Amino acid sequence: SGGAGALAQWVLLELQGEVEPRQSGELAGSLLGDLHYTCEGVPVLIVGHHILYGKVVQLEKPFAVLVKQGGASQPSPTGPHGHYTVTALIKTKLLFKTRPKPIITHVPKKV
Amino acid sequence: AAMRSRAEVDATLQTAKLNPAELLPAVHCLSFGPQAGGGECCLLQLEPGLCAELEAGRSLVIRGEKDEHAVLCSKDKTYEMKIADTSNMLLFVPGCKTPEELNADQASCNIIHSQIAGFSKNYWELRRCRPKLKKLRKLLMEDPYEGPDSQKDQTSTFSKYTTEDLLSLIQASEEEILHQLQVIDACKIEGYWRILDFDYEMKLLNHVTQLIDSESWPLSKVPLCACLEELGSLEPREMIEHILLSYGRKHVDDGEVFFEMHEDKICRAIAQMLLQNAIKFNLSEFEEVWQQSVPEGMTTRLDQLQGLALVDKSSRPETIFLLKVEDLPEDNQERFNSLFGIREKWTEVDITPYIQDLCAEKQTVGALLTKYARSSMLNGVKVYNSRRPIS
Repeated sequence: SGGAGALAQWVLLELQGEVEPRQSGELAGSLLGDLHYTCEGVPVLIVGHHILYGKVVQLEKPFAVLVKQGGASQPSPTGPHGHYTVTALIKTKLLFKTRPKPIITHVPKKV
Repeated sequence: AAMRSRAEVDATLQTAKLNPAELLPAVHCLSFGPQAGGGECCLLQLEPGLCAELEAGRSLVIRGEKDEHAVLCSKDKTYEMKIADTSNMLLFVPGCKTPEELNADQASCNIIHSQIAGFSKNYWELRRCRPKLKKLRKLLMEDPYEGPDSQKDQTSTFSKYTTEDLLSLIQASEEEILHQLQVIDACKIEGYWRILDFDYEMKLLNHVTQLIDSESWPLSKVPLCACLEELGSLEPREMIEHILLSYGRKHVDDGEVFFEMHEDKICRAIAQMLLQNAIKFNLSEFEEVWQQSVPEGMTTRLDQLQGLALVDKSSRPETIFLLKVEDLPEDNQERFNSLFGIREKWTEVDITPYIQDLCAEKQTVGALLTKYARSSMLNGVKVYNSRRPIS
């Protein structure tokens, strides 16, 4: 259900490939990278040793983010059963389709 | 992991050889939130109108029992849900600002620590579909109402269904369900939705038509009050009013309630009553008996029986038999299989009443026939038959 309060607006980040933790171990809590925007509004994402250039896209079909109530379970083949709450709406995505530009340098001295 | 500092961010920019002067001052340091890998969040792509509904505070409901494919229902529409895979990774980030938002908010702080709430390689796609209403009739037919004198109700062990029960069991939106209840002439008795047993329904109708006849009321202006007065001793007042509502159009004239009786619907009901007693009838005999059975002033026509009965013009003599569209399968392919099992070749005129209800929002009967049937010519007439061999 939507709920009485105004729904939060989130943003979608669309990246190619897989996201894996740098160190082996939990993804939760680990850093992804820094997101900048150029003065012209082009998103620039620095992930590890890569620079990704993207673009801001207004979604023709917005997304709703559903959170399953009562613990996670895999969606069954016949569909999602159980109670869901709409947590947020997503109307904008940052699409990073371009090939990452590797940052080629030696590791800098710690500041 | 400790939160990144501005100094660290600047160092990274330097390493990446990016010029801070060409960038907006604010940076988002993205990290994965504590629940990010949990898989409890999923994405639902919204069809036009649904986003506005959610923002207005209205609910969307996912309906379906374990053996049914789930559907999503808004207040008045039903959608099938399907998983769509992307080859990309979709991360959802609360509190992430767009360049416009950053520019608008001059006081925004320099470094925004954003936690990624979750990520997915797929999302749910929606496709508008016909509400799955056949089950509604099936549930209510488990225990049709046979009148107050029936012993059945007291001892009945069958489930009876309230509006809430139906909402949780039927894969359709609330408005579609309520509309269908009206279409099938269901009524609420003691809080439960009931369908009338056909014989009881005909008994009620007969009371009304006989009264109309004996009082010589015009069919277009049958007074409610007089009906309740004259028939109230025979049947419950709610039932008398219900039958008038089912077979007539209510209107108010000078403060008094009248009903304009539905000639076609009455003739059709009487035809059903006659046809259900045998496998098939000699057409001309049936037409004679039928005309004699309907109230004075009403004229029977075969087109009143669309979706109820089928004429076999190939038999000698011509015959007619009961075939109710609501008894046929709900699924498109199964419906066509069933129809072609009954008759090998159909004209468009004959088959239309039996497939009309399958049409999606902007779909035509012609489009359905193109998809599910093959056409050919038979004695100069275009006919449709199955695309596949029928066993």
